[in-house]
Amino acid sequence: MFTLKVAFRNISRQRKRSFLLAGAIAFGMLVITIINALTGGLVGNIRENFSHALGGHVFITGREFNERGQVITKIRPDERLDQLLEENADRIQAFTKRSQALPSLIFGSKQTMHLVYGVDFHEEDKLLGSLVVTQGSLDQVLQAENAVILPLPAAERLGVEVGETILIKLETLTGQHNVGELVVAAFVEDQEQFGLSAAYVSRAYLNSLLGLGPHEYQMLNMFVTDLDVVEEFTRTFREGLLMPGEEQEEEEPNVTVSVGGVPLEPVPRQERITRWEGTRYRVMNINQIMEPVELAVGVLNRVGLVIFIILLLVTMVGITNTFRMILLERTREIGTMRAFGMHKSQVQQIFLWEAVLLGLVGCAAGLALSGLTILVVGNWPLNVDPSLQFFLQQGRITFRLSLNDLILNLVLVVLTSLLAAYWPARAAARLSPIKALSSHT
Amino acid sequence: MAIVELDGVKKVYYLGKAEVHALRGVSFSIEKGDFASIVGPSGSGKSTILNLVGCIDQPTEGRVKINGTLTEGLSDKELTNLRHKTVGFIFQSFNLIPVLNVYENIEFPLLLGRDRPSRKEAREWIEYLIEAVGLADHMHHKSNELSGGQRQRVAIARALATKPEIVLADEPTANLDSKTGQSIIELMKKMNAELNTTFIFSTHDTTIMSIADHVIRLLDGLVVEDTKARAAAGGLS
Ligand SMILES: Nc1ncnc2c1ncn2[C@@H]1O[C@H](COP(=O)(O)OP(=O)(O)OP(=O)(O)O)[C@@H](O)[C@H]1O
Ligand SMILES: [Mg+2]
Repeated sequence: MFTLKVAFRNISRQRKRSFLLAGAIAFGMLVITIINALTGGLVGNIRENFSHALGGHVFITGREFNERGQVITKIRPDERLDQLLEENADRIQAFTKRSQALPSLIFGSKQTMHLVYGVDFHEEDKLLGSLVVTQGSLDQVLQAENAVILPLPAAERLGVEVGETILIKLETLTGQHNVGELVVAAFVEDQEQFGLSAAYVSRAYLNSLLGLGPHEYQMLNMFVTDLDVVEEFTRTFREGLLMPGEEQEEEEPNVTVSVGGVPLEPVPRQERITRWEGTRYRVMNINQIMEPVELAVGVLNRVGLVIFIILLLVTMVGITNTFRMILLERTREIGTMRAFGMHKSQVQQIFLWEAVLLGLVGCAAGLALSGLTILVVGNWPLNVDPSLQFFLQQGRITFRLSLNDLILNLVLVVLTSLLAAYWPARAAARLSPIKALSSHT
Repeated sequence: MAIVELDGVKKVYYLGKAEVHALRGVSFSIEKGDFASIVGPSGSGKSTILNLVGCIDQPTEGRVKINGTLTEGLSDKELTNLRHKTVGFIFQSFNLIPVLNVYENIEFPLLLGRDRPSRKEAREWIEYLIEAVGLADHMHHKSNELSGGQRQRVAIARALATKPEIVLADEPTANLDSKTGQSIIELMKKMNAELNTTFIFSTHDTTIMSIADHVIRLLDGLVVEDTKARAAAGGLS
């Protein structure tokens, strides 16, 4: 392609000029790529950290009416559920059946609100292995039914020692106050960088305080093996757990994410609820919980896009002016080529190719710079506030650039370059050969 | 066979309200293989005629026939194709494409058309032309690394690249010293003899016009002399 070759040679003709224009494009590309990659990484990290903090990718809760007409969140032993778990075993990495509460833990005059999980320690044999004990011993929890494992920060706040007894004050599922005693069995290291780690007691004991039967629980959490098919996986469970005659529930779009680490108490709905028999299941997954985050990130990306487009528009003016100058500089050259049989369209092509090449060179430079920035910043361990750790991965900012964003940005650059060069290119094509040849440049 | 025919050609330029009658009714024909010179004082219409023959301009009145094709009423596309196939240009100030080297400058007209010669064919032809104009050692030089005379040699080779019937040269020696100018005209004459390509050039220089075998003399937009001296020209070369 002759026009491409000439265009390619032409951009290296006025190096400084090409450098400035490509540099402007590169800067825009750098900004948008960093923003895209940063938000991409952010979403990934938040999702991962959320899953970790929430203990799963897919969450199942059950609700039923008690005899007094109150809605109770609980799951009874259910054959259908067990069968679903069995059928999908190869897609489930791990699952837990837990009760939970956010009680006040009281020791002497000190008290603290703390998330407590009721765990069947015999079922969840991996949990005990994953905890890092700093004091005491985990063996006890298998023996004493009201033994508690406390994360170190909570223990420090209460000023309690291993072996001492603390009070646990909570509300039962039906709203009565209840108090129990817990024997501190061990302190464990805070697993979460962001202070969300829970205390653990035996499920049977917590159930007795909450007013649940010993084999009942409140939430079934599952880690799936492949996050890409989490939606389909969720659907399988949702459909498998429908009660006969129950309509598939509309998913509430506004899930509230509570900082206690428990997002799963949806806002009570105002509409009248007709009473139903048995347990109604709600199956949610991490994507639904991530929705508000992705919404926020989407806004950030859009702001980035606007900045990018503004930068491109400014660059566009530069390109247009430059190409008008180029047109004047090369008038006689164009006349010569026209005389030798170059068609108008080919003249135009040279200009447009030149613009596209300029844009692509700018993009390449911008991407290279982004890569460099990402490499440097991504390897920088940050010592930030624990709450910010939620956005990081092992204390580092991570970047993830989606191919779609990349392609979109490239297309935008190429389009604006083409647009910027279009009018000068057309003017060049329209030069009459004779006028062009008599030009003095 | 007449390769170029002008019949009652008039050309009027409009400068605001003023009309400039550059050609006032010019008729002549040039045979295939002629080494023709158009001479005349400044402003007599030499460039205008060459532009019309080169199909980069159209007459206000009258007919121009190139290689049997009437230029009247042709679209820009058709004129462009006609130029590409039939005409080569040599300019006073060389007009080489600065981003291309010698070889590429000569090659480029070949790359514009639709029916191109095979790579090998093109290569051999271009190398022949480079050899013929005496620039075999400068094949990969850019135009700014060449002297004026060398540039005009490249231009001659370029004008011949598509094997056109006609090569037009508007004052090809005006930017060169007389000795170099002489050698350029001699090179053109050599190529004219070797390839039987029709050359039409304009000049002020009397020593140069004497090499021509066909002289058309202009004055104020009219032909005042049309001398064809093939026998004499044969004696010169
Ligand atoms: N584009 C134009 N607009 C107006 N007048 C023109 C234009 N081109 C040529 N002319 C006029 O037409 C006449 C013939 O010009 P032309 O360029 O053909 O002369 P020439 O013989 O080539 O002269 P020179 O030897 O100086 O090159 C001149 O009077 C010139 O001023
Ligand atoms: Mg002239």
